[in-house]
Amino acid sequence: MTDAAVPVTQSAVDRFTERYLRSLGCSIKHSDDHWVVSVPDTTDTEISPGKHTLVRGEGSPNGDSDNTKRLHPESAFFQQLLREAAERSPTGKLSIESESDIETPKWLRHSDVEVQSAQFTPYYDRTAVVILFGVGVETVSEYQQELLRVVAVDARSEEHLPRLAESFIELTSLGSNKTSGGNAQLTQTEAQPLLEIARKLVLDGLQDQLDEIHQEASRAADSEVEEYRQLQEQRIKELQEDHSNLSSKISDLSEQINAGDGDSRVQALRERKELKSEYADIDETLNELRERRDSGFPERQREIRERHSLDVQITPITLTEVEYERGEVDFELLAGNTSRTVTLGYGSGIGVTETVRCTLCDEELSERNPLQTISNGLGCENCYNER
Amino acid sequence: MTVGHQMYFTHTRFYERMSGYDLVDIEVTHESADDLLDSLSEDGTEGEHLQSIQAVRLQAGQSDSELRSLKELDENSVKLLEHQVDAAYRALFEMDGKALLADEVGLGKTIEVGMILKEMHFRQTDESVLILTPAQLAKQWQAELREKFGLDFVCNYDDEFEDFDAHDYIIASIDTAKSERHRETVLKRDWDVLVLDEAHYVKNEETDRYDLIDRLSYNYAFFLTATPIQNELTDLYNVVSLLRPGLFGTRDVFHHYFVNSNQETLVNRDELQDRLNKVMIRNRREDTDIDFTDRTIDTRTFDPTAKERELYQAVSDYVRGAYSQDQGQKLVLMLLQKEVVSSPVALKQTIEKRLYDQSELTHADELESILDLIEEIDTVTKQERLLDIVEEARDTVEMGRVIVFTQFRATQQQILDRLASEGYTVHAFHGGHSSSEKEQIVEEFEEEGGILVSTDAMSEGRNLQFCNILVNLDLPWNPMRVEQRIGRVHRIGQKRDVFIFNMALKDTVEEYVLERLYHKIDLFQQSVGELSSILSRLEESGTSFEDEIFERLVNAGSEVDLENDFDAMAVDLQEQRDLANKLEEFNSGVFEGFDLGESDD
Repeated sequence: MTDAAVPVTQSAVDRFTERYLRSLGCSIKHSDDHWVVSVPDTTDTEISPGKHTLVRGEGSPNGDSDNTKRLHPESAFFQQLLREAAERSPTGKLSIESESDIETPKWLRHSDVEVQSAQFTPYYDRTAVVILFGVGVETVSEYQQELLRVVAVDARSEEHLPRLAESFIELTSLGSNKTSGGNAQLTQTEAQPLLEIARKLVLDGLQDQLDEIHQEASRAADSEVEEYRQLQEQRIKELQEDHSNLSSKISDLSEQINAGDGDSRVQALRERKELKSEYADIDETLNELRERRDSGFPERQREIRERHSLDVQITPITLTEVEYERGEVDFELLAGNTSRTVTLGYGSGIGVTETVRCTLCDEELSERNPLQTISNGLGCENCYNER
Repeated sequence: MTVGHQMYFTHTRFYERMSGYDLVDIEVTHESADDLLDSLSEDGTEGEHLQSIQAVRLQAGQSDSELRSLKELDENSVKLLEHQVDAAYRALFEMDGKALLADEVGLGKTIEVGMILKEMHFRQTDESVLILTPAQLAKQWQAELREKFGLDFVCNYDDEFEDFDAHDYIIASIDTAKSERHRETVLKRDWDVLVLDEAHYVKNEETDRYDLIDRLSYNYAFFLTATPIQNELTDLYNVVSLLRPGLFGTRDVFHHYFVNSNQETLVNRDELQDRLNKVMIRNRREDTDIDFTDRTIDTRTFDPTAKERELYQAVSDYVRGAYSQDQGQKLVLMLLQKEVVSSPVALKQTIEKRLYDQSELTHADELESILDLIEEIDTVTKQERLLDIVEEARDTVEMGRVIVFTQFRATQQQILDRLASEGYTVHAFHGGHSSSEKEQIVEEFEEEGGILVSTDAMSEGRNLQFCNILVNLDLPWNPMRVEQRIGRVHRIGQKRDVFIFNMALKDTVEEYVLERLYHKIDLFQQSVGELSSILSRLEESGTSFEDEIFERLVNAGSEVDLENDFDAMAVDLQEQRDLANKLEEFNSGVFEGFDLGESDD
């Protein structure tokens, strides 16, 4: 599953801020680590109109006025910009142009066979939705994890398009100059079922990561249960001691009662009564504890395990309609003196859509078993090595 | 945003590897997409959607993982080594601010923590910081953080220290923090950062120390130890479990899974390494680029003059007698005993103060007669012999630079006068100077050369690696102090061999301390790290080094007794040293073959 988060370096901060502010109609004057930004009155932004000084990175502010702001990855000003920009237009449209480089499949990239030329002939336009999901995973024993995942689904066939998701990541990187293709055309009714599919896919893709966190949380819960059990064992032991001390005190008193007379006998009787009631209390507590122990402290276990349970929240944050093209690609291949043209199903942004098999053994060509020869059809490395 | 549908699912994967525990539930909530879908019908502007995507991706990004405060550090105050920067980086960004820093001895764990704290300060995530150390090391931590990183902490030994709720940046001895008087205040507070030095001392889960750390509330924690394993492998479990409860599962599981039956070696190392990698950083000496120049020690013992000997005897007799009558006077008596071997003039000041300012009456006669003996002294042997050393230096080293350390201001002044009268360029450095003055003095010493006469205020001061000759005119009874003096000149960045001259008078306490104690533990060849592990062990057994020396001195019945007593103390020290070495070896054995850092290969 593709991770969509971008490392927030100072240069990323600079680049994003400049582009965003300019898109709002602001002008920026640079001088070393200080930027003077003029925000026009008419601009639709939370930043107040007028002049602001932004101090980049670790530079020290010249003055300490309200209009001087720090600009670095954690600065309040930058965070405010991000919030504002993120909320501005969470849905929209992008397209992947067919003139972008043709992507060679891995079985060909790792091959000794040379690709002379590649020609893509688009036959029809397709639409996919690409959704960025925020995923929050929380447990008491592990740190909260916030992830950003991207999922792409073809709008018509509902096919999962992981390669398109990767292309989307490239397309929307900070270095990209790609502008939007305008507003999304999809209606809510069309988007809804695709979103549901994407939700399922994002969860599937998280499985390994969740497994690991799940395992650790379970382990932490288990040590807590164990600690509790040991504590209770200790308590049982102490109560048992009290129990037997009381029991021997009571029998001592009983002897005194049998042997004594008058006042001392009354006194002993009174004491014995008190001790007996204490004895009964302890007896009850002890029995109850033993019972709970024998059944494995089910309530406490449940409570601990509940507390350690994983809370996973999945939130769709942006939805992009992506237009791409499908058609066929012709690869002209050359090995020694032999050349051959191979025509395969292809999509812009998703690459070759067909699996190709070895003519000799019918094994699928792959990164591990690349194309080795084209003299008699397409021959794989395995077949070549066995010869 | 309204909550969408929830679902529970059970995992079918089978965790046989660590078998024996039940799995907790996973609750998955799909948040509503209403707002998002609604926006489909809204019009946007060209380019805005791309910016929204980029903003969302930046929001999710790890906030810039570089140590940005590094640029603020003064290169003259601290030279950072690659492994230290790596450790600080990993602790902060890869371990989410909870890490066990377990470098081998002497690789600069304090520097790593300094960097971490500096970075957190820069990022303003350090509203309250508590550093717990063994008592011996508290002041040293304070000085290092101040001089190297510009971080000001209050130490519980400072006069201004009130309580644990009165300051935000505190360095305290762990035993003070756990004492009845402070414990509640320490526990009541939510600390942003907890630093625990010599973390192996909390290994035992049945102690008050362990209980304190276990109950402390904090967001980030950095534990330091060179020897995570002290006696048995359970120690590792205990220390790590304090930092990351549950990382190793239950004690039983840890034992069954990672420790072989004789408790001596680790099994399933790969799995253990994976887990440890989440929380522990251990650099080994051989993997670093630390390279120290040689250190030559020249201890010179001189025969005192007859009058000096008489004075020494009189003072020692007085100290012994007075202490047997009133142990409350220990500190001042100790002072006299130290001053008599430093210089008569230092001694004179203290005695006059007692006689005239504090109206000491019980021993007035005795003190008066000591004053008379002081007056009679015309030759101060150490000062005369000091001239030999500086003269040699004038001819052989660059700009004749020598730094002379003494514990006492009076001694310092007298030496300065004497050297100046002999035509030497002299500089004075003591605690009375402001910090800008101190800087100025060091600069002048570097530029003009000559002799810098300093009190131990310098130990908390600057770095003098441009000088390579150091004289201990008198010797502190605290080995850490001695090492701190040497550390001013013999540090990373020193390009020449370093020469240390120790001066002592024969048959005095100084000779005992030097010959019988310091040389026995090879004090002058130990690094600060090695020394602190020896001394912390000693302290663990409840002993203060200075007290030990003093008690032996005043309680010995005869010369022979005294020698024996000092020898016994040396044996103790040697034992601690051997133990510290053994532990270090044991730990390197256990972790051998452990690649506990990330590698690019």
